[in-house]
Amino acid sequence: MIASASQKSPIVARGLVRHFGDVKAVDGVDLEVHAGEIFGFLGPNGAGKSTTVRMLTTLLKPTAGTATVAGFDVVKQADSVRRSIGVALQDAAIDPLMTGNELLELQSVLYGIPAGSVRQRADELLERVGLTAAADRRVGTYSGGMRRRLDLALSLIHQPTVLFLDEPTTGLDPMSRITLWEEVRRLNSEGTTVLLTTQYLEEADQLADRVAIIDHGVIVQQGTPTELKAAVGAPTLLITVSASQAEQATSTLSRFGELRPTAEGSLGVGLVGGARQVTDVVRALDEAGVSVHHLELNEPSLDDVFAEATGHRLEGAGASSSNDDDVSPAAEDGSEPTRGRRGRRRSR
Amino acid sequence: MTATITTGAAARSPHAADGSRVFLRQTWAMSKRSILAIARQPALVAPSLIFPLFFAALGASSFSKATNLPGFPKVDSFLSFALAGSIVQGVLFGSVTGGAALAIDIEDGFFDRLLASPTSRVGILLGRLAGAAAFGAFQALFFTLVLIPFGVRIASGPVGLAVIVASGGITGIAIGGFTAALALKTGSSEAVQGSFPLLFVAMFFSSAFFPRQTMQGVYRRIADLNPISYLVEGIRGLIVDGFDTVYVAQAIVVPIAIGVASIALALRMLSSRLAAR
Repeated sequence: MIASASQKSPIVARGLVRHFGDVKAVDGVDLEVHAGEIFGFLGPNGAGKSTTVRMLTTLLKPTAGTATVAGFDVVKQADSVRRSIGVALQDAAIDPLMTGNELLELQSVLYGIPAGSVRQRADELLERVGLTAAADRRVGTYSGGMRRRLDLALSLIHQPTVLFLDEPTTGLDPMSRITLWEEVRRLNSEGTTVLLTTQYLEEADQLADRVAIIDHGVIVQQGTPTELKAAVGAPTLLITVSASQAEQATSTLSRFGELRPTAEGSLGVGLVGGARQVTDVVRALDEAGVSVHHLELNEPSLDDVFAEATGHRLEGAGASSSNDDDVSPAAEDGSEPTRGRRGRRRSR
Repeated sequence: MTATITTGAAARSPHAADGSRVFLRQTWAMSKRSILAIARQPALVAPSLIFPLFFAALGASSFSKATNLPGFPKVDSFLSFALAGSIVQGVLFGSVTGGAALAIDIEDGFFDRLLASPTSRVGILLGRLAGAAAFGAFQALFFTLVLIPFGVRIASGPVGLAVIVASGGITGIAIGGFTAALALKTGSSEAVQGSFPLLFVAMFFSSAFFPRQTMQGVYRRIADLNPISYLVEGIRGLIVDGFDTVYVAQAIVVPIAIGVASIALALRMLSSRLAAR
């Protein structure tokens, strides 16, 4: 019944809004995730990604708008939604005092899995995420990558048709990230619909069939990565010059195409002629007396898509504050500060 | 504004019996987690086992002659008098630890993991309280067994000891309900831990350390109104005087009454927290 109800679009949001006091964390999000796809939700810290996911996973009530997940209304049929989805939240909140096995058993009970099936299901998942050998170790001894993999296993215990992964690879080393990507792809190939939030362009580019770019609580672009990049058009020529010559360089570059937002310290211009135009640009800069320290020509990326849509770049924007995504639900009543909580190791 | 708290189990199954079974299984799983956390953090729970014994030992060495005061119950040793206070004091310590653990679940996001599942919201709370009950019962037994070699005798015998242990468990739930309510209200482990002095004052203005008959003035009036006095006197009666239904009623009914109030408060706080989402 769940499958038929959600056959077409397992996740649909219409005009989803969430305010925390005066802060509009999510301001009218419309999205539709098709069955069997990996949908990337890309945006910087505080863009509204996690708040949207928390509404779709029934952890937050929308201030306005509607959403259905697996065919069920997230407000009116919250319990049915919870039974249909797997959720791995941003903070991989896993009790460090428990072992992997114990957590999987607890999760099985929470989802009402019959006692006779628990052991087999737990063993399958542990093997799947490569944690069989560590299953009886306390989670407090796991690496970040192992915790994320266990978190993924926990979210799959009841074989959900829709999986929400909120920044699943934030803080992971490259190898752990690739391992997790492979597992997400494998799950997707088996038919699981995945909504994945990320602040990593490469992750969205590599994994997602379609991407929505969110900034300041609003979706600013949506489409396949190929479509979005093609829409940006010309490749970007990035140059680095000394601060005293920046104005002269900007003026020169503007003769060759549209100036593009760049990271601080560099300048960018869209070159319709691509690599063929680079020589002309270098010559013009030389004639203008501008000394170029660094130069590179980049094919359009999702960062260019983001820059085009928002006027600022995503790359490098949030690396130092990766724990500060969105406003916590309890901030609304002022009861609890939950920003930047990841990494705290405390007694329970 | 309040939210309706439904048991996920009841919502899940059209058969009440199945629903109850799932609910009990989930609650038991949550209790087991609470008990595991206690067993695996000896450094955290040690103070709640050591300090009450320390105070009892201090009292025995400093106030042993107080047993001759008019109004003081006839006891073989001051420790027999102090044991009831030690039990309640230890449970009070332990309940703060349990409440703080719930607050840490909220702070660290584990509470969200539970809420994202179709499990019963009430079960999450009851599981925690069941853990507090198990620890409270253990503390009552532990303090008694440790003090027996030092001259403490349980006048009511093994049946009385069983009542004392049960009283420790129920008191764990009763005080645990308040600390859980505070955890759910504030979501702050610091706030829960900060409540300890308040609980200690509540205990200080009771007959935990001295009999009410030896008190005067405001101190006596507060102790007369303080339900902890009656709880302590019930347990003390079973230790010092022997088996008596009045003592049993005091040791069991008083914490049940406190527990009804504290669990109602905790459920209200849980409901408010869910509604605020």
